[in-house]
Amino acid sequence: MLMRILRTEGIKFRRAPVWAAFLLLPVLPAVLGTGNYLANLGVLPNQWYSLWTQHTLFSSYFFLPALLGVFCSWEWYLEHSGHNMHALLSFPAPPWALCLGKLLPALGISFLSQAVTGGLFLLSGSLIGLTDPVPPELPEWLVCGALGGMAVCAVQLSLSLLLRSFAVPVALALLGSIAGLMLTAQGLGLYFPYSLLALGMRANNPSMELDIRVLVVSSLVYTLLFTLLSIRLLSGRDAPAE
Amino acid sequence: MTIIQTQELCKRYGTAMRVKELNLQVPEGSIYGFLGPNGAGKSTTLKMLLGLVRSTSGEIQLFGKQMGPRTRVEILRQVGSLIESPSYYGHLTGEENLRIVQTMRGAPAEQIDEVLQIVRLQDQKNKLAAHYSLGMKQRLGLAAALLGFPRLLILDEPTNGLDPAGIQEMRELIRSLPQRFGMTVVVSSHLLSEIDQMADTVGIIREGELVFQDTLAALHGRSRPHLALRTTDNAVARSLLEKQGLGCTEEEGHLILPLLPDHQVAALNCALAGQQLGILRLEERKKSLEDIFLELTGKAASL
Repeated sequence: MLMRILRTEGIKFRRAPVWAAFLLLPVLPAVLGTGNYLANLGVLPNQWYSLWTQHTLFSSYFFLPALLGVFCSWEWYLEHSGHNMHALLSFPAPPWALCLGKLLPALGISFLSQAVTGGLFLLSGSLIGLTDPVPPELPEWLVCGALGGMAVCAVQLSLSLLLRSFAVPVALALLGSIAGLMLTAQGLGLYFPYSLLALGMRANNPSMELDIRVLVVSSLVYTLLFTLLSIRLLSGRDAPAE
Repeated sequence: MTIIQTQELCKRYGTAMRVKELNLQVPEGSIYGFLGPNGAGKSTTLKMLLGLVRSTSGEIQLFGKQMGPRTRVEILRQVGSLIESPSYYGHLTGEENLRIVQTMRGAPAEQIDEVLQIVRLQDQKNKLAAHYSLGMKQRLGLAAALLGFPRLLILDEPTNGLDPAGIQEMRELIRSLPQRFGMTVVVSSHLLSEIDQMADTVGIIREGELVFQDTLAALHGRSRPHLALRTTDNAVARSLLEKQGLGCTEEEGHLILPLLPDHQVAALNCALAGQQLGILRLEERKKSLEDIFLELTGKAASL
């Protein structure tokens, strides 16, 4: 059943206007970050590592959560428009499978966004002629970022399912990221879903000591909790009366 | 076999009872017309049958199985539905919309062309659903409901938004489904004429209560012509009639009799006159189906 649902979710992403977000949202922080790096070469001596701090400064706390928020909102917005929710819930599919059918594509988007971020980082670095070798930690940063992104997606999907709005959950993603920034500053980042994305990417601080096990467990716990919440929201409620 | 059976089905929203102690019985292979004015609880009931709305109390059995969280998925495999205005993904083509339904229901891919043909959308299948007319969207919704050729089809106001030609076409299509595909169809409407032309079994709901449920023929039976008689003393007249073996009922000051042959009416006249009863009115009446519907859905309001 889950495979069938995933196939249909794939069809729904055809011609989806949110792909435009993919062109825009990862490119902006790369351009801004590279510009910042070039403008502050005096205080940023560490080549790739310095460039990474500038790229992730914008992406991890703003553009990437927004990107994930937009995709997650789109996934439920589609079902909330018209009477699609009736049709979706009238299919012979259990609510848990429908929720996983939303989470797994979002997880894919999280990984894809990290791949694009990494690609743009390498491209920017080569274009401005960085000579040091590329940091070997880069794949790890990206994978950890994607896992943190998974937790963000699970929260966003619950919000989008609950609020039946496109824009409000995206705004909440940005607020969540700001809160995440503050909690990270106080050392509590590993316990807050919106901090996990930036922490995983070692945003602004590539030399940070990070217990990856805690990051992975924390990401999984939040993903599990909010996916369970989504399942409950989807199965425990009457379809909207007209 | 009874395809749908509900027992004392109730739905309360806040303090309002939207559906009250409903006992539906939908026989297999029938076209069950679910009739009632707007807001009578038709959609709520249909949504409960699909598990989209939870009942407050009572039970639902589909195909002899109790509807519940554990059986829902299994039951829904055999049910196609079109609830309220059709649902579609506007950024996808008609065919892509059907591909989603076909995949979700696990139906063979060839059926997409088959149902497109049935609803005559095959030439429009590559158009975005958002650019469809209302009638085309409705037909797309029906095509989606037909995918997998389920045993039971639940259609909520399927002719809404269609032009007269479209209504005619939809009606004929629905009427053909039991013979062509062995389906049982539940179709709701607030229009008596529509149910009259489509259904063979009728349930009439009014303010959440089922006020009639029987075959369409039985409903028509209620509209048989009859005689209405008013005399100077109806009570005496009634006992006289009963002595002659003529059962009657009294309605708004008239005694209602079956339609009698002329000679019997003449004899009746003489007998009444013999008892010094003046005949004030003796008329032949025929209730239209419309009258009966109004009686069932309106008159009960005074009770």
